[in-house]
Amino acid sequence: MNSTKTKKPFFKSPYLLVLPALLFYSIFWAYPVFTAIREVFTAIDGGGFTLDNVFALFHDKKFEAAVTNTLVFALVSISLQFVLALALALIINRNFKGSSIFLFVMMIPMAIPISAVGVIWNTGLTQYGWLNSFLDITGLQAILEWLGILDGLHLWTDVSGMNAVMFLILIDTWTVLPSVMIIILAGLQNLNKEYSEAALVFGANRFQTVKDIVIPIIKPTIITALLLRIISGVQVWLISVMIFDFDKVPFLVERIVYYTKFYYGEEAYKLSVSYSLFVVLIVMGIAYLFLRANRKAERGVV
Amino acid sequence: MNKGANKALFYMFITFLGFVFLIPLIYLTTTSFTSRIELTDFPKPIIPKFYHDVEFQWDNDNNRYNFSRLNNDGEYELLIWGDSEGLSKYLEEKLNVVMTPDELEDEIRISKETGDVVHLKLYKTVFLNYTKFFDVFSGAGNAFKNSVKVAIYTIILSLSVGGSLGYALARSEIKGKEAIGIGALVVRMFPTIAISVSAAVMLINFGLFDSMIGLAVVYSIPNIGLTAWITKGIFMGVNKELEEASLVFGATKLQTFKKITLPLVLPAFAASSMYAFITAWNDTGVALLLTNRNQTLALLLYNSIGGTSSIHYAAAGSVLLITPAVIFTFFLRKYINKLWG
Repeated sequence: MNSTKTKKPFFKSPYLLVLPALLFYSIFWAYPVFTAIREVFTAIDGGGFTLDNVFALFHDKKFEAAVTNTLVFALVSISLQFVLALALALIINRNFKGSSIFLFVMMIPMAIPISAVGVIWNTGLTQYGWLNSFLDITGLQAILEWLGILDGLHLWTDVSGMNAVMFLILIDTWTVLPSVMIIILAGLQNLNKEYSEAALVFGANRFQTVKDIVIPIIKPTIITALLLRIISGVQVWLISVMIFDFDKVPFLVERIVYYTKFYYGEEAYKLSVSYSLFVVLIVMGIAYLFLRANRKAERGVV
Repeated sequence: MNKGANKALFYMFITFLGFVFLIPLIYLTTTSFTSRIELTDFPKPIIPKFYHDVEFQWDNDNNRYNFSRLNNDGEYELLIWGDSEGLSKYLEEKLNVVMTPDELEDEIRISKETGDVVHLKLYKTVFLNYTKFFDVFSGAGNAFKNSVKVAIYTIILSLSVGGSLGYALARSEIKGKEAIGIGALVVRMFPTIAISVSAAVMLINFGLFDSMIGLAVVYSIPNIGLTAWITKGIFMGVNKELEEASLVFGATKLQTFKKITLPLVLPAFAASSMYAFITAWNDTGVALLLTNRNQTLALLLYNSIGGTSSIHYAAAGSVLLITPAVIFTFFLRKYINKLWG
C-alpha cells in the first residue's frame, strides 16, 4: 500500500533522535518526581494512603517562619531588583562607546559560584572585614557615624528575624541583578526607538517616556523577568545557610536540605519530601502563569 | 555647549558604578594575596600589598633575633624572636615570604656583627596562597579534578542527548512538538533541590551516589532542555538547500553532516557546552546532597567557610573557582543576552 511505502524504517525515524531525551527524562526526572510524590502520601511504616505527612508540615516549628521569610524574600527582592535592573538596562541601552564592556562588567557577579559568594561575604561582614575597611578608607564610616547610623565598627552578621531576610536580599541583589537586567535589556533592544523619540519630541520628559511608552511596550518582557525571578527567589536557601548557618533564618528549600542533611530516619525524610512538594507546587504555579503570559505575548506581538 | 562636560560626567558615573559593583570581587582577589598576619590588619587596603617593611635586631643577652613588622599605624611591632631557622619558617607561614634560613642569615648577619637594626623590604611570593590552598585543604586537588570531570560529563550528556533532540525538533515532522517544548521549559524551571532527595535514592539504586557521573546526570536535567532549545534554533537557521546540494553531488548523509552542517552549528554547540560547564562547575547545593566523600571544588569551598585562620587560602581557592566561569561568561555574553541568562 501507499502509506506503508512512505513510512520510513524505524532506525531512520526522527523519533529515534527524541528517544534518548525521553528515556533520560523518564528515568532521571519523572521517576524521582513520581517517587517523591508517592512518599508524601504514604504512611511512614510503608502503609497506605495518608495525609499525615502533609499535616506534619504545619506542625514543623519553623514552617511559618520559612513561609513568611520565603515570601518576603521573593517579593521584596524582585521589586528592588526590578527597579535597579531597569535603570541599569536603560543606561546600557543608550549604546554609548564602551557599553558592551560595561555590560560584561555588570554581568560578572552572576557568573560567580555561590560558594565563592559565601567566601566573599564571610570575609566582608566581620568587624575587621573588607566592608568596614571600605567604609573606613572612603570616609563613609565617618559620615555614617556622624549621622548616627553606625556606632563604631559594625558586625554585619549580627542581625536576626526579618532584618536578616532584608540583609540577605541586599546580598542576593548583588548576585542576581545582572540576570534581571539582561532580560529587560533584551526587551529594550527589540523596542522600536522611534516611539520614545517621538514622545521626547512632543515634549514628554525622560521619566514620562519611560513610564508611559517604554514600560507598557516591553511589558511582556518585564513579566517574564519578574516571574523567572520569583521562581528563583522562592528557591533561595544557600546564601542564607552560608552567612547565618542552617536553622537560623529558615527558608522553604533550606528546610528540605536541613531535614535531609541533619536527620536520619523516616520522619525527617517524610518532612523533607513534603516541603519539596510544597515548593514544587508554588514553582509550578508560577511557571503556569509564565506560560500563559508568554502565550498571550506571542499572540499580541504578531 | 556643555556636551563634553556631560559626557565626562556620564563616564565618571559609569566607571564609579562598575567599580562599586566589583568591590566585593576586588576585595576577594586582594584577600587571596594576603598573608596570615595581614588578615587582622584594619583597614584592609583595596589593592594588595606585595611586600612587608620589617626590621631585625640581634639580642645579645638572649642570643636571638627580634623580628618586627611595620603595622598599619606606622609603628614597628615586635612579633617574634628566634634564630634564622625559626624565623624563616615564621616568615613563610605568617607573611607569605619564602626564604631559606641561609638566605635570611645573610641578610641580617650585620645586626649580629654591629648591633644595629636591619631594615628590610621582604617581598611576598605572590601566588603562595594559591599553591598552599591545595596543601591546607586536604582533598582540594581531588576536588579540583572532580569539578573538571563532572563538568566534562555534563557537557557530553547535554550535547549528545540535547543536541539530537534539538535536531529532531528543527528538522523533522514529529508529533507533539509543542508538548516537548513545554515539557523542556517545565523541567528547566523545576526546583532541582526538591527532587534531589528522591534523586539520591535513585542514584543509590544505580550505584551512582557520591559519583561524578551521578552528579552530571542531575546537572544535565535542566541543561538537556536548554541545549535542545539552543541547537534547535541554530539547526533551523542552517540552510537546508546547502545540505541537499551536497547530497545531490554524491556526499553521504554523514559526510554532509560533517562537512556542511557541523561547521555551521559549532558556535551553538560551543555555547551549549559553556552553559553546561557553568552549571556543573558552579553548583554547590546539589553536590551537597548527592555526594558524600567525593567533593567538588565549589563544595569544598562551601565547607571551608567558618575557618577564620585559613580564609586567605579559601579566597585563593575561590578565585580559582571563579575564573573559568567568568571567562566563559565573557564568551557567552551575546548568547546570554538572547537567552536571558
